[in-house]
Amino acid sequence: MKKISFLTLLLVIGLVVAGCSNDTSGGAEGEVGGEITVWAHPFTGDAEKEEEMWDKISTSFQEEYDAEVNIEIIPWANRDQKILTALAANNGPDVFYAIPDQMPQYADVGMLLELDPYLEGYDMDDFVDSALVSTTWKDKLYGLPILQSVDTLFYNKSVIEAIGEDPENLPETWKEFEAWAVKAKEQGFYATSFQGGGSMNNTLYPYIWQAGGDIVSADNEVLINGEGGVEAFSFINKMYKNGWIPEDSVTAMEQNALWEDGQMLAILGSGNTLANLQNKGKIDFVIGPPLKNKKQAAYGTTGMFVVPSNTDNPATAAEFVKTLTNAENQRTFNKVTQYIPARESSKDIFDEQPFLSQLASYTQYTLPGVINPKGRDIMPMIQAQLQAMLEGDVTPQEAADAAAEAIEGAVSQ
Amino acid sequence: MTLKNNNKRFNKTKSKLPFKERFRKNAIVYIFLFPILIHFAIFQVFPFLFSFVLTFMDWRVIGNSEWVGLKHWVNFFNDKLAWKALWNTFMFSVYYIVPTMALGLILALIINSGVKFAGFFKGIFFLPVVTSFVIIAGLWGWLFRGTDNGMVNWVLNIFGVDSQLFLSDSGQALIVLAGLSIFKVAGSTMIYYFAGLQSIPNQLYEAARIDGASPLKIFWKVTFPLLKPIHFYVAIITTIGSFQIFDSAYLLTGGGPNYATTTIVFYLYQQGFSSLNLSYAAVLSYALFFVILVVSLIQRKYLGKESSFY
Repeated sequence: MKKISFLTLLLVIGLVVAGCSNDTSGGAEGEVGGEITVWAHPFTGDAEKEEEMWDKISTSFQEEYDAEVNIEIIPWANRDQKILTALAANNGPDVFYAIPDQMPQYADVGMLLELDPYLEGYDMDDFVDSALVSTTWKDKLYGLPILQSVDTLFYNKSVIEAIGEDPENLPETWKEFEAWAVKAKEQGFYATSFQGGGSMNNTLYPYIWQAGGDIVSADNEVLINGEGGVEAFSFINKMYKNGWIPEDSVTAMEQNALWEDGQMLAILGSGNTLANLQNKGKIDFVIGPPLKNKKQAAYGTTGMFVVPSNTDNPATAAEFVKTLTNAENQRTFNKVTQYIPARESSKDIFDEQPFLSQLASYTQYTLPGVINPKGRDIMPMIQAQLQAMLEGDVTPQEAADAAAEAIEGAVSQ
Repeated sequence: MTLKNNNKRFNKTKSKLPFKERFRKNAIVYIFLFPILIHFAIFQVFPFLFSFVLTFMDWRVIGNSEWVGLKHWVNFFNDKLAWKALWNTFMFSVYYIVPTMALGLILALIINSGVKFAGFFKGIFFLPVVTSFVIIAGLWGWLFRGTDNGMVNWVLNIFGVDSQLFLSDSGQALIVLAGLSIFKVAGSTMIYYFAGLQSIPNQLYEAARIDGASPLKIFWKVTFPLLKPIHFYVAIITTIGSFQIFDSAYLLTGGGPNYATTTIVFYLYQQGFSSLNLSYAAVLSYALFFVILVVSLIQRKYLGKESSFY
């Protein structure tokens, strides 16, 4: 009931103030100065260290501009609701943190300020190309990236040895991985994880990209039931039917217990997985490259800072985002948060950390999910078809076709 | 009947008093009520009415909203997933309401039976109610893991039963989620039933025993019928609770597999907060409102007629 009450309240507040909002999209406006509010989130468990980090970043901005910056740390829980409520009430931040599937959804309805007019003379070439894919919608830039992550396979060395393989020669292709999976199954191990109840970014999509396919383009061309898409559905089906992935993969949200118990050859993980493995020190591991069938690809998120279109101070907000994402502040930010900087030159912070350095080298293969305003809507539809296939109700081709039909319906609305 | 007539007469007399007189008499009540009524009007009545208006709009958080007439209502009637979500919610209620009432009653009978350490058992039975739902759901997910190393599967294997997929099986997932809710809520229904049991006069049991009634007969002929007001209350709150089920699907299955656990509130949440389709979410909330209203009226008609039995 709470959620319904909240929803209705949100609707009402929004409607009342919607008419009052100003449209400030267009050219660069105003002087840099005054006061801005920035909404960020707790990126680590160490609030004190993060506070120091934000102080340093704010000071670097204030040394150059006569402006005040209020950094507010908002808990991750229900962050979309909080941002939407605040923006609807015209009481939101001037700068906030966004993720790839959020950006086009907000940009498409005019909620974000286009940053291109503010970027004259700003060093954009240093940004990792795959990071800018996430911040661009219909050829316009709506955010500047601060961090990246990459999902790749972490292998348990003991299991590699148990199946008689070499940890120095990890699989690079689907074919090589299949050969290892067969051996792992024979020895009573699962080959890898598959969290079918979670985001498709960590399950189906990377396999589709690796098979040379895609889900839906920015201009609404549905591609999921193309050759690559069907091949990915088939490969996942094969992994499930052969017992290479756990039986609960249809709806599992996590399979950490199996991995930590040493029952799994490899787990799909990112920087968080690395931090956990290093903290616990229980499993001797190696990191493998993102797999390749026709193309080497992996999912990787891009964290960015964006400016809402109803900010009162667009020039200062845009300037702050530029300062925040410059090479030096990317170093400051990512040294503390242990994410991968979105600028090539800032990746030198990991020169002494081989595992992070290895992960950072894979960002060139990353894709940020579906960059389309309907990206979030279509995910449950695709997930349902994937689950129907794993349950044996439909074939991979039928699942891909049904997913395509559902996407067509969603994007045509 | 007599009581009703008395009430009518009383109301009549009351309404004959001049407004000023009535206001003077009840001023203190109005003073205390006023802030609550203001709060109620702003946060309940106004959003309730206005969200109905929003069902006829394409509402945007920022930017211009448009009037679209009955578009979202027509979509709702053609939306197979919305109907599936309603059906899932109904099936969840079937799996949930009666077992929750039955288990609550059984637990209440245990602690009311004079068993040793009744207070301790009461605390144990009530523990899931006061424990965070996220923690209980995590434990439930761990117990019903679909692999061989899931706790329940491990027990089943000992008895020679094959491992089950539980949350990964369309046919079992909703039942497992209902089991979670029963486990979570049965403690509070136990308390209601316990209060009901305490209020049944002892002489009725004594009379039944003198007449030679067996314990089973005493339960069905004395205890069960005299708990009717409690049955009614518990039925209403568990029904409303079952129609609002959201957390377990959100935490354990994400609405899957293949929409098998997508309930109406889960779907509403997805539409409202993932897809930002807030107007359609408002339509779904109205659909839910009408369903709960109708079911509550039916329950009231058949269960809530009598309020005194002896």
